[in-house]
Amino acid sequence: MKEVTLTINGKQVKGKEGDTVLEVCQANNIDVPTLCHSKGLTDVGACRMCIVDIERERRPVPACTYPARDGLIVQTQNEKLEKHRRLVLELMFTERNHLCAQCVASGDCELQQLGYRYQMDNTRYPYAWPALPVDSQHEYLVIDPNRCILCGRCIRTCDQIVGVHTLDFGYRGWKDVVVADLNQPLGKSTCISCGACFQACPTGAIFSKKSAYKGKRPDCKEITTTCPICGIGCDVKAFVKGNMLIRIDSPDPSQHDGLLCHMGRFGPLSQEHPRVKTPMIRNSRGKLEPCTMNEAIDTAAKKLGQFKAHNGGNSIAGIASGQASSQTLKAFKELITETFGSKFLDSLDGDQYRAVIKGIGAFQDKADLSTEAPLEDIFNADCILLAGADPFQSHPVAGSYIVRAVRQNKAKLIVLDPTQNVLSDYTELWLKPKKDKEAAVLNSLAKSIASGTKVKSTAESGVNQKELIKAAQIIGKAKQIIVVYGEGILQQRNAGLISALYKLAAVSASSKGGKPVVISLKSKGNSRGAWDMGIANNSVSVINNLAQNGIKALYLLLADDYIEAKELSALPKGLDFLVVQTCYLSPLAQKADVVLPSPTWTEADGKYTLLDGTPISVSRIVKPPDGIKSDWDTINEIAKRFK
Amino acid sequence: MAKVKVASVWLEGCSGCHMSFLDIDAAIIDLANAVEFTRTPITDIKEFPQVDVGIVEGSVGNTEEEEVLKDLRAHCKILMAWGDCACFGGVCAMRSTFDKEEVLRRGYIETESTFKGKIPGPPGVPALLDQVKPVNNIVKVDCYVPGCPPEASAILYGLQELLAGRIPVLPSDMMRFD
Repeated sequence: MKEVTLTINGKQVKGKEGDTVLEVCQANNIDVPTLCHSKGLTDVGACRMCIVDIERERRPVPACTYPARDGLIVQTQNEKLEKHRRLVLELMFTERNHLCAQCVASGDCELQQLGYRYQMDNTRYPYAWPALPVDSQHEYLVIDPNRCILCGRCIRTCDQIVGVHTLDFGYRGWKDVVVADLNQPLGKSTCISCGACFQACPTGAIFSKKSAYKGKRPDCKEITTTCPICGIGCDVKAFVKGNMLIRIDSPDPSQHDGLLCHMGRFGPLSQEHPRVKTPMIRNSRGKLEPCTMNEAIDTAAKKLGQFKAHNGGNSIAGIASGQASSQTLKAFKELITETFGSKFLDSLDGDQYRAVIKGIGAFQDKADLSTEAPLEDIFNADCILLAGADPFQSHPVAGSYIVRAVRQNKAKLIVLDPTQNVLSDYTELWLKPKKDKEAAVLNSLAKSIASGTKVKSTAESGVNQKELIKAAQIIGKAKQIIVVYGEGILQQRNAGLISALYKLAAVSASSKGGKPVVISLKSKGNSRGAWDMGIANNSVSVINNLAQNGIKALYLLLADDYIEAKELSALPKGLDFLVVQTCYLSPLAQKADVVLPSPTWTEADGKYTLLDGTPISVSRIVKPPDGIKSDWDTINEIAKRFK
Repeated sequence: MAKVKVASVWLEGCSGCHMSFLDIDAAIIDLANAVEFTRTPITDIKEFPQVDVGIVEGSVGNTEEEEVLKDLRAHCKILMAWGDCACFGGVCAMRSTFDKEEVLRRGYIETESTFKGKIPGPPGVPALLDQVKPVNNIVKVDCYVPGCPPEASAILYGLQELLAGRIPVLPSDMMRFD
């Protein structure tokens, strides 16, 4: 890119053509105050804090929207500019209620900082204060327009970074406010609750119910790590005061991977389910009773030892959630297969693994997951096939990627789903086959693209000829197609369907000389880690065949996964002994004979494997409640009793 | 050298600024040598003599406060505002976005613990103004020490600057709005 040379404050500095004057200043460590500017967003020149004098301009201009050109002579600091900036600040402070003593953001506010910087010890104007309604119905967020300076950072973040563009300005003049959709309460809008607007807000106009009044960021210890909840692996910056987590931010929201979702940003600050705070044993009266860790481990080891001695190791089964960390899963695998000598080890989503592997195996020589693509590949695609997924529910950041690819890269989105299309606003075409007919539709598309013949619809598939032809045209024209499939596909446990998805991706890619690009949105954050480790290598489901296999005792490792009782309703029936290791006092835990407490992911170090196979390390953010050990410690303690 | 005469009032506020003033600790001894306090909430003198420096804490929310403030302004050469209420309206200004009648009804009649409440008014108590105002909306103010309350060091800085013959402007690192 061409270099340009400017004179700023009498000094020659260099910048790139296409940069703004502000960007050149920032690159050269020249201090210019800003409010509505935020890295990664388009600049709008709304706040006028960054005004600079440029020779031959009749009046000061905002540096953030002024293109840097060769030979510009710029002044960023002089008495007149400082006077203007203070005036602008005074106008902002008086338009709405910016009295810090009344505000949740005091001490953690960019407007306040500028007030201090410009020594704004009074304001010369009467307050306008239009008394605007506050929206506090959202589960996590409050919008208080009375603290808003209309910088629009939340709106641009929602539009350009998150992609959903829920927020925008409503009304005009002094009643101008940030509204969701067409002035809906935020909680009832298309908001995906990611909280990016909260992080973008320079004042207290958007704040989180989960963080409000807990503490200020400048007083906190910062811990930067990675969120392991869904397997996308977003970086998080946690703010901790004492041992209290007060807030989670994205370390750099201007980056592609700087997004967070409600699970990562607000989940660790919410107590949605009651915690298991102590180990528990079922007593002689049949009630769960708190006990010490040693007692619980002794009881579990003694009972499991008896089953091993009398009924053999294969009378014990171990089932793990893919939410547990890799060290935990490794210790668990060793405990079940080596210590107990049982062959019945599985993960909760083992059936999905078996279907995926079988499906891939039918399509390529090597039946493994090594060909799964990283999430960033969504941005390289001009056609996205989204099959059986509700990304904003299960993997919201993936949803943002898809919506951004559609809106910003003009990618075409085809949704394949018999029941729902949550991205209907962004969809080019919704293929709505009848139940279990997805594979048939995919196969006929692949066949038509491979052979160059006209696609044929079959009556029973539920997709009409016209739609199929349109799909074939879109896919045929695409330079790079990406297939993203989610739980709707995985839960069918249908290898043929997985295979059909791969086939379509491959056929379309190979006609352009590329490789198939497929992403699976797996149900648990460390599903891939569990699968790669061989937790689900059994040929059939262990969970569904407990009685057939003569299993008497079950060790269920849930870690910080909350399992609804209905998901595993049949589980405890016919078992003589159930150990549940979990964070939460779920109905399932209440059926256990021994309950072992787990820390949440924020309370223990852990290694995880992301959706695409990338290994990550997650560091502990806060200490777990007293007496709760890491999951692998607990498991190793049990194993020790057998040595 | 003649002592500098000072008068101070607290209007609609919490008296926290005066408490913060007392936090200047030992510095008050030196100050007492240079300054004579006339009417202040602490000395309990009722009338303002002519003074060099008037100090006001608190915002203006009723007719009495308005009168006292104007009285102080008329009796002082330099008027200094202490604290967020005087400088900006502060916590007291929270009521400004509500209707005055609504505020009185809520406060004196509808509070959960009130039985047979009655809204007081003149002549017994002064009437509320429609809005709570910072003091510079009513009279001319010469200098400001914001903060809720201002740090003792900021208050001392303000007084020392005045004694040195300068109009104080708090440096950025002493500025506080909360």
